[in-house]
Amino acid sequence: MVRDPDTEVTVNRAAGQVKRAVAWLRQPLPAPPESLRRGPFERGAFDSKLRSPRLTSLLGLGLAVAFTVCFATGLLSHFIQHPPFWFWWPSRPVGLYRVTQGVHVATGLASVPLLGAKLWSVYPRLFAWPPARDLAQAIERASIALLVAAALFQLVSGILNISRWYAPMPFFFTAGHYWSAWLAIGALLVHVGVKLPIIRAALTRAAPDRTAPGALSRRGLLLTIGAAAGVITLSTAGQTVAPLAPISLLAPRRPRTGPQHLPVNKTAAGAGVRDALFDPAYRLTIAGPARTASLSLADLTALPQHTVVLPISCVEGWSSTATWTGVRLRDLVALAGVDPDDAEAYVESLESHGRYRATTVPPPHTRDPFTLIALRLGGEPLHPDHGYPARLIAPNRPGVLQTKWVGRITVRSAS
Amino acid sequence: MTAVRRSLVAVGGLVLAYAVIGALGDADVKAGALFFLAGVLVAHDGLLLPLTIVAGVILRRYAPPRLRPALQAALVVSLAVTVVAFPLVLGRGRSADNPSLLPLHYGRGLLAIYAIIWSAALATVATRSWRERRRRPQPPPG
Repeated sequence: MVRDPDTEVTVNRAAGQVKRAVAWLRQPLPAPPESLRRGPFERGAFDSKLRSPRLTSLLGLGLAVAFTVCFATGLLSHFIQHPPFWFWWPSRPVGLYRVTQGVHVATGLASVPLLGAKLWSVYPRLFAWPPARDLAQAIERASIALLVAAALFQLVSGILNISRWYAPMPFFFTAGHYWSAWLAIGALLVHVGVKLPIIRAALTRAAPDRTAPGALSRRGLLLTIGAAAGVITLSTAGQTVAPLAPISLLAPRRPRTGPQHLPVNKTAAGAGVRDALFDPAYRLTIAGPARTASLSLADLTALPQHTVVLPISCVEGWSSTATWTGVRLRDLVALAGVDPDDAEAYVESLESHGRYRATTVPPPHTRDPFTLIALRLGGEPLHPDHGYPARLIAPNRPGVLQTKWVGRITVRSAS
Repeated sequence: MTAVRRSLVAVGGLVLAYAVIGALGDADVKAGALFFLAGVLVAHDGLLLPLTIVAGVILRRYAPPRLRPALQAALVVSLAVTVVAFPLVLGRGRSADNPSLLPLHYGRGLLAIYAIIWSAALATVATRSWRERRRRPQPPPG
């Protein structure tokens, strides 16, 4: 090995700077006057024998698993809607997204009692005295505040979203929920890194339960939290697991409730397309690089019709299976003169504006014979709120990407 | 600090930086998200949790010891369900032209769930005291 004296000096200098920075961070801060130590700051202000590092670690472990599941499924849903260049999502199994998004919402809801109990178990630490011994501890405490705030942000905004109450959220829900998820996961990693010795000791060594006989024990509290998560799951999961619907008294949706027995997110009136739908001059335009076709509803009906059974799976966690009849997207792609096995389609709604008025159907879904421009639902013409005269329905995709009231399809070769 | 801990903290710090930079660069996030972030923290740590603890103290002072654990458990489960149910019961998300949205009577649903939770708690207490009574030796007659 060749030693470079210059590099060595630089490395030594950098190491010295790091050491000095650490020493500065570790310098004790002046303690606040003892007279301020009142109320919850007093020694012994919190006296529950139920609190222990073991309880906190067990609850924390459960939360870490739940938040990881929510983060992974949420990120997946984000990538399906905003695919980075390296991302690839298949069109089969048809109900995969239904499962991942159902798990996302159910896990988030079941985390409510877990997070509540976890924060209760460490609440006395909020009033630790002195508030910070040194700058390093002050930074660590700030990162915990960030973790708690981001975790609460995720659960509260998620609950508000599934109950469609946006007024308390002064931001666009999807964007806030997305960035706050990164905040929560980052702060969680820091937190686990800082507390690892405590967690390891609490989970590996047996710690006696100090609760009095007859009082709520640690096991009792953990069972209670499990019961709460179970009650919440059973009372909401019916929005996607149809057999549970009769007992899901708090389900924001019922899979069979809505026009043509299917829930609706955006109505035709809400989208401002009611007049355009019933216009006799309606034409579906299929534009390819070589030619453009313009099809009336009668032309579409005259093309070969196919029937598929596919779920609508909403990002809000509800889903419902329905029988759709219409023209295969790949047949329309071929009509535009493009090889349907290697094409993507840009599908636009008759809506004049709106975040979800258009979507790109990637090659796996364009190729899939299950992907239809549907004209009928359950054998009847589509209800206006379900996308009359024609809508996109593709396997394994979020509901917001199943464009309704389709007016134009632009086809291009994928390669 | 071990290498594992150091790398957890370092990766976590990078993810935090990514979140902050990403949120600042996203026009859809706005300052409102920061208010909301601080708001949920203050509402939870300053209001909901202290109230829960006070409810626990009241329960400990006034409830008979035999009933206490079951009542505490029922209170915790009820509170968690209420947090989820509250915006549904309020029903602000309803829309006149879309009856498929929030189609149920959530207030009635929540009351039914409370009834189930508290019956289960009372049934637990009843079973336990019945078992204890059976275990205890019977006093001799006369």
